Amino acid sequence: MNSFLFLAQLGVETAAPHVEGFAYPNEQHVLWSILIVIYPYITGLVAGAFIMASLVKVFNVRALAPVYRLALLTALAFLICAPMPLLLHLGHPERCLQVMMTPHLSSPMAMFGFVYAWYIMAVLLLELWLEYRHDFVRWGQTEPGLQGALYRLLTLGARDVSPEALKFDEKLSSIVTLIGIPSAFLLHGYVGFIFGSIKANPWWGNVLMPVIFIFSAIVSGIALCVFIYTELNWFRGREVDDECLDEMGKFLFYALLLDFSIEGLDWLHRLYSADESIHVLKQLAAGKLFNTMLVGQLFCGTLIPLLLLGSTQVFRQQIPRFVRRRIYYFSALLIMAGVLLMRWNVVIGGQLFSKSLRGFTTFKFELAGQEGWLVGLTLMVLPYLILWLFLRVFLPAKYDKVGHSQGPLHSAV
Amino acid sequence: MTSPRLPPQLLRLVLLTLAIIGTYSVARVFLTPATFGQFGHYRGAALEEAASRPPVYAGAKACDECHGDTFAQLTKARHRSVSCEACHGPNRPHVKNPDIVPAKLTDRHCVRCHLADAARPAKHRQINLTEHYPNEKCLECHVAHQPNQSK
Ligand code: HEC
Ligand code: HEC
Ligand code: HEC
Ligand code: HEC
Repeated sequence: MNSFLFLAQLGVETAAPHVEGFAYPNEQHVLWSILIVIYPYITGLVAGAFIMASLVKVFNVRALAPVYRLALLTALAFLICAPMPLLLHLGHPERCLQVMMTPHLSSPMAMFGFVYAWYIMAVLLLELWLEYRHDFVRWGQTEPGLQGALYRLLTLGARDVSPEALKFDEKLSSIVTLIGIPSAFLLHGYVGFIFGSIKANPWWGNVLMPVIFIFSAIVSGIALCVFIYTELNWFRGREVDDECLDEMGKFLFYALLLDFSIEGLDWLHRLYSADESIHVLKQLAAGKLFNTMLVGQLFCGTLIPLLLLGSTQVFRQQIPRFVRRRIYYFSALLIMAGVLLMRWNVVIGGQLFSKSLRGFTTFKFELAGQEGWLVGLTLMVLPYLILWLFLRVFLPAKYDKVGHSQGPLHSAV
Repeated sequence: MTSPRLPPQLLRLVLLTLAIIGTYSVARVFLTPATFGQFGHYRGAALEEAASRPPVYAGAKACDECHGDTFAQLTKARHRSVSCEACHGPNRPHVKNPDIVPAKLTDRHCVRCHLADAARPAKHRQINLTEHYPNEKCLECHVAHQPNQSK
């Protein structure tokens, strides 16, 4: 047994062909791979979708009311999947509760558990419950069988639907949304902080990191809502609400513009201050990350959508509706891919160069295995499946027309 | 006059919150390991568990008992700073029962420490495999226990 272990060690002695220049032995293998790329991507979508929903509640953007529930359900479906990449990456998912039982302030993992629990229970579920309670009571009376029983159960026994009670729901819900925005920032800011706080890595250690992560999260969340809203209407054979879609397109454009500006500023600042790491970072951007960063993230994921969406802002009247719809849909897809690539560039990119700033290693993406792209793909598809289930139960086609966020609408008048 | 009453939704939420906090507190009682916090923020029993793991190394002194000649040879040569088991691997079972023979070492094993690598300290002797007698076995020229002696 021991000699077996020993022979396994002997396997690693020869020259490493995937290393260029000078790299310390412990830098030659990329340890944070696809799962750690997907994790901030998914939490970003959650935070973004929630912030998009809060536009309706807090900022009273009425045109977006048709996607209010959709956005919240989307956030929930993705939130359920958010910790999965981490659990899979660490192995031993059955031990995950331990960190919550004996938490320590110096453990970001434990704190994430609490932020996550707070966010899912005190914010998302609460907000959804308040939004849906009225309907649960109604549907519980009309729906037969199991589904009806589920609705009745979900009222938690609070069946009072008098105007005062509904008004109270609303008040509470606005408060929850207000608490929700900083919570969403916290949830996703935490992700940026994981990278931003690593001082030893010039690609990551940057106070702007949480801000950059949050803005790209908002962008990707709105894009996700555009995508899902379009798909859902197509699937249910319904006309999209163009006013709503135009409004989402507007917010998508401005959010993307902001995101682009902040990331641009970050680069300008790095280039101008030109500290000792700048050479290796430039080489990284122009070399190993050329395709994913300059072509993928910047050109396809940012500049093209900016042009497309920008044109709908400037020439809205001249562009026919159906073209606008395609533009929004297509831009949303590009943006989502761009943000995924951004996560890739941050996570993988930060591990490709040596701390000596004089060498690179290579990341090889495997097919199967714990960190393979099959697992990655499964994790990316899973939230959509969960969402599909949610939509069947909580946004059924027959209620969808009347059901969406009547709350803020009748309260606002 | 009606007394101000808690809205029913709020009552449910308060109850639910209490239930969650209650569940968490109960779960903590059962899921916190027994010896947690005995010495610090970790399981006290972890120390014993680690200590009770069977050691796999025996140490160079143990080898000296039976391989005194090799030991003497080694301590006179440049590999003196390298312990027997750094090359031969953990060998406690062999010390207890010499019939369990250590694994044979191949040539590639020298390269583990001597392959040229910019990350290694410059004073450590390193060779470039393509320049240093490629395609020949290290042990055809070098004596493992006395590397500065040639065969
Ligand atoms: C109790 C006496 C004893 C001790 C202690 C001992 N050995 Fe041995 N060792 C032997 C004997 C006897 C042989 C010859 C076995 C054979 O050839 O079947 C041997 C053979 C070997 C061989 C050669 C195996 C081969 O392929 O021919 C190596 C290598 C070795 N020992 C290493 C070690 C190391 C390293 C240690 C210290 C951790 C050690 N021995 C401690 C008795 C001992
Ligand atoms: C630098 C690595 C290295 C160290 C350190 C080392 N050995 Fe070896 N040893 C070898 C290699 C390689 C062989 C195989 C030699 C051969 O086949 O000619 C070997 C062979 C042996 C043998 C087989 C008989 C022989 O002499 O060829 C014994 C016994 C042995 N070593 C014992 C020891 C003991 C005891 C120590 C510690 C005092 C030790 N070795 C330290 C590399 C090492
Ligand atoms: C566990 C690591 C290790 C292994 C394996 C190892 N060596 Fe060494 N070797 C060393 C160290 C340490 C030195 C001493 C360097 C010093 O003192 O500067 C050394 C020194 C040497 C020297 C230089 C001697 C001199 O006169 O300067 C030679 C030659 C050598 N080893 C050959 C070998 C050969 C051949 C093997 C394979 C049998 C081998 N080494 C395996 C660690 C190792
Ligand atoms: C054809 C015989 C031969 C073979 C085969 C051979 N060496 Fe050497 N090696 C020498 C000689 C002679 C020297 C001393 C002169 C020199 O530095 O070239 C030496 C020197 C060394 C040194 C010290 C280098 C220094 O800078 O002082 C190391 C380390 C070494 N050899 C390791 C190895 C290893 C590992 C292998 C197997 C991959 C190997 N040798 C194969 C003959 C050989």
